[in-house]
Amino acid sequence: MTPSGRRLLDLQVSRQGDAAVMKISGSVAMADAERLRTSLEDLAAQRVPVIALDLSEMDFISSAGLGAVIFGHLKCRHHHGQIKLVNPTPQVRQLLETTRLNKLFGVYDSIDQALPG
Amino acid sequence: MEAARGLAEEVLGRAEAQGYGPEVCFAIRLALEEALSNAIRHGNRFEANKKITVSSCVGAEQTAITVADEGEGFDPGAVPDPTVDENLEKPCGRGIMLMRAYMDEVMYNKAGNEVRMVKHRSGGRT
Repeated sequence: MTPSGRRLLDLQVSRQGDAAVMKISGSVAMADAERLRTSLEDLAAQRVPVIALDLSEMDFISSAGLGAVIFGHLKCRHHHGQIKLVNPTPQVRQLLETTRLNKLFGVYDSIDQALPG
Repeated sequence: MEAARGLAEEVLGRAEAQGYGPEVCFAIRLALEEALSNAIRHGNRFEANKKITVSSCVGAEQTAITVADEGEGFDPGAVPDPTVDENLEKPCGRGIMLMRAYMDEVMYNKAGNEVRMVKHRSGGRT
């Protein structure tokens, strides 16, 4: 937590079959973007076919954070993998629509929808 | 970067104390982050000897923020649209578009190294 109660970035990775689920909690401000990028690129380097980003607890993301997700997406594409976005908060969903990144990434309502079967 | 986080915390704390809603606070936070990021990266080019000057006025009805760097400036009208299909996969280049989308007024000085942004408490965009 910051002094005013805002949550700092927390990343939790779990595996679901071949896929990975990364739960992103708190804020992805510019100071946090490098950490997110590194974590995504590490997963991509393991040739995980699908990385589902659980955004249900993500309060904020700046363009630097969005850039980190795009770096991960580009790295995943090397092995035909993909990143899927799951259950963003209303403000983050609006941000994805404003940037049109909802067209680049699939946006799903649940992990089950993002990782069928 | 940590100084930027502290600054955003301070401005947001004042906005919340004024009773601004979460959508407006999100917009102010995003625009301030983007302006600071542009000033650090593209304006001052990470040069530690160059300063960034920020002034903010959080009032009952609106918030005004000015961010100035010591870079050479740029033409904000020449920045490519990051929302067109061919630019969607570019990791950078969304900051100015987001400031314009989330704030009610965004104005650059003639040199392009100072931006002033205003967000109305209600009735504005986003």
